[in-house]
Amino acid sequence: MPEVRIKTLPPPHGGKLVDRVVRDPEMARKLMQKCSAVYDIKPTLFKGNPVRNVYREIMSVCYGFFSPVEGSMTKAELESVLEKRRLLSGWVFPYPILFDISEDDLKQLRQKYGDIGPGDWLLLRLKGEPFAILEIEEIYEIVPGDVAVRTFGTPEKNPEVVKVPFDQKHTGYNIYCSLNPIILAGKYTIINEPKFRPPFDRFWYPPKRSREEFEKRGWTTVIAHQTRNVPHTGHEALMKNAAYIGDIKPCDGIVVNAIVGAKRIGDFPDEAIVEGHEMIHLAGYIKPERHLVTFTLWDMRYGNPIESLIHAVIRQNMGISFHMFGRDHAALGEYYDIYATQILWSKGIPSFGFDAPPYEVDGGFYIRPQNIAEFWYCPKCKEFAYSENCTHKGIYSRYSGSFIRGLINEGVMPPPEIYRPEVYKVVVKWWQKFGYPFNNEKYLKEREERLEVDLSHMELPAHLKK
Amino acid sequence: MAKFFGVVIDEKRLAAIKGTPLEEKVEPIFGGALKRLVIEVPDDLGQKVIEQFSKARFDARGFIEETPAAFKRLVFKKIVEMKSLGPEVIEAAVAEIPSIKDDIEKEDRELPVPDIDISDVLELQKNPVQKPA
Repeated sequence: MPEVRIKTLPPPHGGKLVDRVVRDPEMARKLMQKCSAVYDIKPTLFKGNPVRNVYREIMSVCYGFFSPVEGSMTKAELESVLEKRRLLSGWVFPYPILFDISEDDLKQLRQKYGDIGPGDWLLLRLKGEPFAILEIEEIYEIVPGDVAVRTFGTPEKNPEVVKVPFDQKHTGYNIYCSLNPIILAGKYTIINEPKFRPPFDRFWYPPKRSREEFEKRGWTTVIAHQTRNVPHTGHEALMKNAAYIGDIKPCDGIVVNAIVGAKRIGDFPDEAIVEGHEMIHLAGYIKPERHLVTFTLWDMRYGNPIESLIHAVIRQNMGISFHMFGRDHAALGEYYDIYATQILWSKGIPSFGFDAPPYEVDGGFYIRPQNIAEFWYCPKCKEFAYSENCTHKGIYSRYSGSFIRGLINEGVMPPPEIYRPEVYKVVVKWWQKFGYPFNNEKYLKEREERLEVDLSHMELPAHLKK
Repeated sequence: MAKFFGVVIDEKRLAAIKGTPLEEKVEPIFGGALKRLVIEVPDDLGQKVIEQFSKARFDARGFIEETPAAFKRLVFKKIVEMKSLGPEVIEAAVAEIPSIKDDIEKEDRELPVPDIDISDVLELQKNPVQKPA
């Protein structure tokens, strides 16, 4: 008889967790000596507003969330990802990971430090302090708009799921359109480990640590909940019910992995998102022994099926066995079919390089999907009913994050049928702090100056003090 | 495909339509925890509303969401004035958007914080260590 119990955590994507963080200051100083130039990281701006900060990608690469990716992609790797959603090694990877700088910045670097090129190491500074090293392997040019279109697809090339062409109402599309045209490709190494600011510090579980935590808790079956939202009761019902998948019993653990980074105006601030999810266990709605709130640094691309692939990469690397994929997964607007992610994870999307689901293709995943339709509130069933069970049309009420944000915007406290009161109060806590319940231009600009981290002071080597 | 515009009906709004045929159109949602009026609009008019506001979008239910609160107040005003739940209400509201421009801009910068006691959640967060088994 085949063994049905799951006794171990899935292996990292690509076979080995990337760990490119130097924790020994002496070693860090030695590595800095090898650098040829210094560059201050800048946020990516769209119409003057920050939409991305490459430091988040450097963090996610170096702490292993994006394993087996080790740095900014070469031109050949970029082409492979855009054409096939595969790295040159054959492992599935959905998005370009790029270190971009402007022509002016490259010119200035070369004026100041000489002819910087392949073979040189670039010291990257964040908030004025040494942060990481980029070992330059290749310098090449991109056409940002072309990368944007090819990243997300078009109705002509990807008719299975892309309904309308992407445009400037799509935040992820704007990120790629706003990239600088010069790409410095090469491996990243963090040499000055950033310290997370509260409240993020207590939710930082990079893959090595999350795997240790699962083992400490005795978890071998874990399900991931992707979030960019303060949880409503529908999310809670989804988490609790999806977790029944397990093996001979429901999953040992439910891991919420929030995506923290620049998001679109109108989303909730990340501080409220992570604390809102934490409140689910602090207030006793899910036992804390079974629930872990974590986050990954990533400026959301809102790429629905494409985004689900990066989620699979991140969460499998964290040691997670199952992933909930709901309606409109990581989506924005009506660019994709609302079930595009579930189509990908049930039969594949050939035009994106998947003739079969991503767990059945070469270079694919061990993590398994839990494709869920939706939960709604049904007063006749007297429960948060699963849409494939309940037939009380006209009575049930469907959830909508946008609708709830609209309620809050109008000054209406969401009833307990929609929001746990404790969760709403977390929203109010951060509303008091920021003067606004959602991301607006002021919040996004200030958070990009503040970021989620602080760095210790580290002296530059003399040859870089120019 | 038709789109929908929902207006949440609180006690004040309910009082404004009491005794009119509109009152009968109020529908309970979430088991009666909230009430709303719904206007069905053709797709092109829905699109026109979306184009007026940077954050506005259709949600998965086909509702036009994340429009400014000032616009929702204007739509409700037009519902009462025109005694209708037809698309002409939305057309009239869209035509009057210039009159609420300042309110919309202010709304993007600040919203009054609700006056509620949050001390119980601050207490829960005092020692927020995620507990291993």
